Amino acid sequence: MKEIMEYWPFLLPVIVIQVILAVIALVDLLRHKTYRFGNQFFWIIVVLFVQLIGPILYFTIGKRDS
Amino acid sequence: MEILRLDHIEKHFGDVRAIQDLTLTVTAHSVFGFIGKNGAGKTTTMKMIMGFLPPSSGEIYVCGEKVNYGDTKTNRHIGYLPDVPEFYGYMFPEQYLELCGEIAGQKPTQIKKKVTQLLKLVGLKGVRRKIEGFSRGMKQRLGIAQALLNQPKLLICDEPTSALDPIGRKEILEILSKVSEQTTILFSTHILSDVERICDRIGILDQGKLIVQGNLAEIRSTYRQDTILIELADQNCPASFAAKLRSLPFVSEVVMKENTITIHLTDITKKAGKILELLAREQIPVIKYEVLEPSLENVFLEMIK
Amino acid sequence: MNGLLAFTKKEFREHIYNYKALILLAVFFVFGMISPLLAKMMPEIFSHMSIEGLTITITEPTYIEAYSQFFKNITQMGIIVILLIFSGILSRELTRGTLIIVLAKGLSRHAVILAKYFVALTLWTISYSLAAIINFGYTFYLFGQFYAPNLLFSLFCLWLFGVFILAVVMMTSTLTSGNYAGLLLTAAILGILLTINIFPTIKKFNPVSLASNNIALITNTKSVSELLITIWITLALSSFCLLISLIVFRRKKL
Repeated sequence: MKEIMEYWPFLLPVIVIQVILAVIALVDLLRHKTYRFGNQFFWIIVVLFVQLIGPILYFTIGKRDS
Repeated sequence: MEILRLDHIEKHFGDVRAIQDLTLTVTAHSVFGFIGKNGAGKTTTMKMIMGFLPPSSGEIYVCGEKVNYGDTKTNRHIGYLPDVPEFYGYMFPEQYLELCGEIAGQKPTQIKKKVTQLLKLVGLKGVRRKIEGFSRGMKQRLGIAQALLNQPKLLICDEPTSALDPIGRKEILEILSKVSEQTTILFSTHILSDVERICDRIGILDQGKLIVQGNLAEIRSTYRQDTILIELADQNCPASFAAKLRSLPFVSEVVMKENTITIHLTDITKKAGKILELLAREQIPVIKYEVLEPSLENVFLEMIK
Repeated sequence: MNGLLAFTKKEFREHIYNYKALILLAVFFVFGMISPLLAKMMPEIFSHMSIEGLTITITEPTYIEAYSQFFKNITQMGIIVILLIFSGILSRELTRGTLIIVLAKGLSRHAVILAKYFVALTLWTISYSLAAIINFGYTFYLFGQFYAPNLLFSLFCLWLFGVFILAVVMMTSTLTSGNYAGLLLTAAILGILLTINIFPTIKKFNPVSLASNNIALITNTKSVSELLITIWITLALSSFCLLISLIVFRRKKL
């Protein structure tokens, strides 16, 4: 495990990006109450627990156009 | 001058003849009311004028230029407000109008000036809100602003007032009548009082057929069903009087209800006096005697019977 | 011409506003960064997973491994992300009716297709380049080496495959109506191309080869000349798809 830890400066930006995307998606989906399909609870789960792909799915097929 | 001409237009959707042999002309500086029930074919006709739908046969000319389906060249003469205008919700109204101005090929300085002027006209000046937060009425007004951006010779509005509350309707109609000083307007509606307020020419579309077109005042007098309303002082009017009225050759129908009598005549110009004479001779006390103006609604209902 | 420019500007603005540009950049940034890292960490990850009685021996990874990871990530996840992001580029506007007003203002129908394709192409190029550059840098940092034979050509092949995919997306979104039909048709076309790729005789003419020979190219098991015909075919097919989009969209009922 120690060896993996030495790569954390490289992993950090990746994690930061994932967190940023998840937060942006979360804020957006909390502000909009309706989606193209699924309910709010469903999308919160997807965005928070499916790394990277979750927010992408929300913005591409979940979010309703304004 | 002729702004718009539809020449024997037919439009079929499968077996349904949505538009049948529609020939119509709109001349410059008129406000043309395109009247019909929902589903009569108004939107279809407008989409064909815009080149969004192909006619099954027939030709359309805008300012003398032929409209080709799929082409958008003739649209530079036209300002179009769709029945439900859809905008890019993430833009501010100024940004949207600027986009439209650029697409219409106007110069940046000209666009700036025009956008400010139009936002003032439609009462959206100083609205610091993205379009996604607009109400129906605000969207409709932005729709008019966008339609007027290229100083069109013809403004086409598809049911601009239908989905609005009375105040919203009044605002839109006021804007349209202001605009009509400079532009020819073709607008469709099923609300007849709107037509009576601003139109000078009308066409009535019923089941895909244009059953009448022409000057509003002329149509009214041609299709007028002359009606006289008499209100009696006495509750019970002698039945003999009604019988006498019915026996007159120019009276087509007599309706009695409590103390009012409604009389439909075939010709009002010469014969109205005869009714008065009869009232005097029978010594019937009258509170009110009125020659009713035929409403467009009556004409319309009569026409599409 | 004015209209084309204005509409292109609008498309860029839209992709920034609806976070699609951000997502693309973020995802491809992650791909560029994580590929060399995964390659480097692989032996350690496996060593921790060793099951009793079973020893897994893994050779020390090389920088070639980093590129394998990179190509694998882009051809699988990368392409899926591209499809998700761009499959609605036209159909969303058609189902909502937002094009009606801009077309009524005199924007030509061709300009709609060309602007959308151009913007998709630009975003793909930028995010793919970003991934490639970051991958270069990290590979060099972690392995002390980054040069591989035909590397640029191999990268170009995958980029061109993306160009082709985007042309297919444009075509399917003009051919279908509704929100997801275009995406399904694109997926079906890709499925067919992948399936027929098992026949060795067709491989050469199949654009999929541009995304399946990247590692073979940098390890010199495939030569550049073998893929030239594929490149020409892909260019021809992309132009064909774009042409179909232009023709079909011009006749589309709105």
